Amino acid sequence: MEAEYAVEINDVYKRYRIYRDKGSELKEKILFRKRNSYTENKVIRGVTVRIRKGEAVGFIGKNGCGKSTLLKLISRIIYPDSGEIVTRGRISGLIELGAGFHPDMTGRENIYTNASIYGLSKREIDEKLEKIIDFSGLADFIDAPVRTYSSGMYMRLGFSVAINVNADILLIDEILAVGDGEFQAKCMNALREIKKNGATIVIVSHALSQIEELCEKSYWIKDGRIQMEGAPSDVHEAYSAETKKE
Amino acid sequence: MQKEDSRNKEALTVKRTGQRDDFFQTVKEIYAYKEMIISFVRRELRGRYKGSALGFFWTFLNPLLQLCVYSIVFSTILKQGIEKYYLFLFVALIPWIFFSSSVTGSASSVIAQKDMVKKIYFPREVLPIAHVTTNFVNMLLCFIVIFAVVVISGTKLDAVAVLCLVPVWIVEYILALGMAFIASSVTVYFRDMEHILGILMLAWQYLTPVLYGYDIIPDQYKLWFSLNPMTPVIGAYRTILYEARVPELETLLWALALGLTVLMVGWCTFTRLKRRFAEEL
Repeated sequence: MEAEYAVEINDVYKRYRIYRDKGSELKEKILFRKRNSYTENKVIRGVTVRIRKGEAVGFIGKNGCGKSTLLKLISRIIYPDSGEIVTRGRISGLIELGAGFHPDMTGRENIYTNASIYGLSKREIDEKLEKIIDFSGLADFIDAPVRTYSSGMYMRLGFSVAINVNADILLIDEILAVGDGEFQAKCMNALREIKKNGATIVIVSHALSQIEELCEKSYWIKDGRIQMEGAPSDVHEAYSAETKKE
Repeated sequence: MQKEDSRNKEALTVKRTGQRDDFFQTVKEIYAYKEMIISFVRRELRGRYKGSALGFFWTFLNPLLQLCVYSIVFSTILKQGIEKYYLFLFVALIPWIFFSSSVTGSASSVIAQKDMVKKIYFPREVLPIAHVTTNFVNMLLCFIVIFAVVVISGTKLDAVAVLCLVPVWIVEYILALGMAFIASSVTVYFRDMEHILGILMLAWQYLTPVLYGYDIIPDQYKLWFSLNPMTPVIGAYRTILYEARVPELETLLWALALGLTVLMVGWCTFTRLKRRFAEEL
């Protein structure tokens, strides 16, 4: 029995605590009790989203509307206050490339560590090692410590691991805004390839054209709620119209 | 291969709600991330002494030097009249160092990986587990030195007793892991915990029969000492390696019961506190 949805978000709420001036030391905790008080910021207020397997969707909206929080909720980094989120399959995120790289270890060793953070077994990594190195184009430097890498090489290695772990769900947060033109083109090509292979893709971006190019559906998030959903061209038109009005 | 893959996939279906996580789901997930634990342990073991002249040799040197300090103080100045005091102390000191460094060190295990916790998802339990496991492997390596010292001292070990080391190791691991869950999760919210733990573990060391024997404890305090989960553990090591006897089943069961209690408290604390790790860090 195959479940139809890769991601199901049912009526999810999320509040963040905003501390006035938080002290984490005991002295501060006791002396400045007042500063520990916080106001709650309701970031997500009742969102329901269902994403089919193999579908690519985009989240758009103004800064602070909650779209990145939504992505973090799907990635399981943060927990919802109420509601329910079900994800099916391995999740990989092009959210922070190369997070968790150890500078003193070689590129090859870092591939193992990094891929294991996505939950791969040693054997699975062995199988994919060649492909990862190949894609990164760093074969000549793969046995050098990554501290000797340039930031571009760092990113390429991180990207290469993230897209080659055979994720079922790929989360992308503004990543396509960084890197040079060539790198961006490579990213887009890789994403199309991944999509063709049946992975589910969720993108958060301000670059509406990229979403239109890749996604079948777009969600416009406003003040923690879904303002509009549908075909990217329609949603983006309405969104652009409102942004202009302001 | 196909089978393993599908099993893995099943563990990767995750439900998040406002309520507490499902216990079995979490355990399954941690198991699916075993490669991450292994790779962290490998990294920490190799990285620990990187750049120091003696390198990995410090694993053995450090406890040996501590042994020298304590032996000199307690067999020349604070004489206790214990035969082969160096051995008496050594077989208890190595397990104690494992326990104490697991607890104090794990306090920063989540904070140290702040960037990763904030940006990538993985079961957070992996961090304290990897830390305790690293120290555990270190202790097992130190047991090579212990056996060497035992042989040199002329003590004849009982084969069955030596086999009893395995359950004692497991119980101590459980206990250390339970404490590590508490230390690592509380420290995220309350940074002073790291420093408080330093003193707490020092006090704990003196309240556990490590430097002295259980026998010299005044009778009226014996009950309190037996509530200390490290007392039966250290006692069992000493029975096996110093007295060369099989430890009483009672001692082992009592140690196991205390260890499981601590692990349960630790697990519950961690499960509650991990929910807002990414927001607090």
